[in-house]
Amino acid sequence: MSIVEAQGLSKQYDPPKGVLAVDGVSFAIERGEIFSLLGPNGAGKSTTISMLSCLLRPTDGDAFVDGHSIVGDPQAVKQVIGVVPQDIAVYPDMTARENLLFWGRMYGLAGAELKTRVDEVLELISLVDRQKDRVDKFSGGMKRRVNIGVALLHKPRILYLDEPTVGIDPQSRRSILDGILDLREQGMTVLYTTHYMAEAQELSDRIGIVDHGKLIALGTHAELVRIVGEEARVELTVDKGLEQMVARWSALGGVSRAVVEEEHAELLVEDANAVLPHLFEEAAAGGSRITSVNVSEPNLELVFLHLTGRALRD
Amino acid sequence: MTRILTLARKDLLETRRDRLSAIFIVIMPIAFTTFFGLMFGSGSDRLAVAVHDADRGAQSQELVRALQQSDAVRVVPKGAEELDPWIADGRAAAGLLIPEGFSAAVQAGEPAELVIVSDQTSSGAQAIAAEVRSAAGDLVAADRAARIGAQVAGQSEVPEAARAVATLAMERPAVALTSVSATAAAGQVPTGFTLSSPGMMVNFIMFSLMTAGMAVIMERKNGTLRRLVTTRVRRWELIAGKMGGMFALTFLQQILLIGVGQLFFGVDYLNDPAALLLMMVALSLVASCLGLLLASLLSSEQALVAAIVLTSMGVSALSGAWFPLEITGDSFRAVGHLLPTAWILDGLRGIIAQGYGVADVLPAFGLALAWSAGLFGLAVARFRLS
Repeated sequence: MSIVEAQGLSKQYDPPKGVLAVDGVSFAIERGEIFSLLGPNGAGKSTTISMLSCLLRPTDGDAFVDGHSIVGDPQAVKQVIGVVPQDIAVYPDMTARENLLFWGRMYGLAGAELKTRVDEVLELISLVDRQKDRVDKFSGGMKRRVNIGVALLHKPRILYLDEPTVGIDPQSRRSILDGILDLREQGMTVLYTTHYMAEAQELSDRIGIVDHGKLIALGTHAELVRIVGEEARVELTVDKGLEQMVARWSALGGVSRAVVEEEHAELLVEDANAVLPHLFEEAAAGGSRITSVNVSEPNLELVFLHLTGRALRD
Repeated sequence: MTRILTLARKDLLETRRDRLSAIFIVIMPIAFTTFFGLMFGSGSDRLAVAVHDADRGAQSQELVRALQQSDAVRVVPKGAEELDPWIADGRAAAGLLIPEGFSAAVQAGEPAELVIVSDQTSSGAQAIAAEVRSAAGDLVAADRAARIGAQVAGQSEVPEAARAVATLAMERPAVALTSVSATAAAGQVPTGFTLSSPGMMVNFIMFSLMTAGMAVIMERKNGTLRRLVTTRVRRWELIAGKMGGMFALTFLQQILLIGVGQLFFGVDYLNDPAALLLMMVALSLVASCLGLLLASLLSSEQALVAAIVLTSMGVSALSGAWFPLEITGDSFRAVGHLLPTAWILDGLRGIIAQGYGVADVLPAFGLALAWSAGLFGLAVARFRLS
């Protein structure tokens, strides 16, 4: 039995005319897997996690976490989930230990059990030596670790992580990703949201791609990449007439899609080696000069571009 | 309940670690108490009584002298026509008219009449009446004892005439107090630290809401309020915990400021500890519910600071925290007494200087409860997690 089963989850803010942030999303998360929701900012990832955390009530649909309905029995759901919000939601003027003790009590822990769990979590997040320091003295990465540690105190059955690596240095990001992989090794189920393709690709057993509140693709990395077949992405910049060039290139054989992205063009092509000479010829014929070329193998970024016509980073 | 207490304790811990909050909670109130106390004079906290001696006899002058030595009242000699105005504008809590014939009545062993001029509801006037009754009673008793002594002087047995005088003295009241209403409400005008200590306490209890309110706004911004609701904390527990933190903060602040007032400014808060406790609870309830409401309504630190400054200054001025409402006009006094803080201040000053007990402060406590319920209801309705 899946640990999470979302069934037609929808959330509209200020109905009936407000924004439809999540639109009929259905998916299941299996026990022990890392499941990522990948999509650009505003796609509906955080709203979905908020509903699964019982922070927001869905306007339609339901989800069951470890068999408990998020609509009908939110208190039971809260006992089995650990939520790591996007913000560092801990108290900066309290020490790491004080934070963990406080949050542990909020999860219903007390006495010796609380102290034991705090010690274990401090070990897990590698902050035993700094446990008596105030969190506002910590680096961004250490704060993130406390943020994650809080959610582990009550031994949840599933951990929700909402973009936990936003705005931190590469070393801290690496540490967090390794920590999540370690948790998976210990049997923890993880729901992870990100707009970084590389993170989703590295961490996830399965990935759901969301855009404009809809789940537009779902599968393993290999399954998703197969959506675009063997297509490669070609990124081109020209000295002038970018839009005109994109129009000309899109008419070429072997180019399945060509769009303008900021200062450059992005093309999906079946065989980069075969198409590239024609792209140069067409540019010359159109009076433009290609100033840079970047060819990428099929990846999730490409899948998103293929499905939406837009780059994931936008 | 455990979670509510944990939330409140956490808020107190954070406040204790915020050095800036100590300025608002401790340093500024003490500084302003000193400043306003000195500005309004360290004059006597005794109840002012305007006295007109129409008798001008030996016993009436003896009574005035006795009152002048009282710890409870301060005698201000005035003409008969001045009693009403002095009571009306609050310069005297009551007037005492000693009618002609007072001394003669005392000397004759007859009940002597005195007239208390006051607002009948003024408990200050009641305290004065009690003091006058005591002083006059002592005076008459002394006179009667002297006359009995004269009767028995040199005699081994008490003569029948002396026995008759003593019996009469037992049967007749020493003095008859007649109360008449003044033409306007009257009360004691508090001065010195009796004015400034409770006043500044109310003022800065309101100011300290800035610290507590800011904490709620910061928690809303950094996401901890939302995160709390993903734990097993229910929304109502979260709100109760926040209010509990504000209540505890303001209550501890009161203990501190009352202690300072009692020990260093000689303000006698402890005349009736039970009544004082009621007023402290009332003030903390009103303040914490108001703080919770402001933090619920406002989303930015700047807006909260502006609102707290305006609210605390407005409430303090209208409630008589800065200057006694007794020196203001009827309309201002009436508007001020729409606020629970005005009643609480009356209660506190009454405890300090006018012998107020629990029964006297119950109306203020009731009004504070009603206000708190209204403010809390609004705050709960408008409380937002993000």
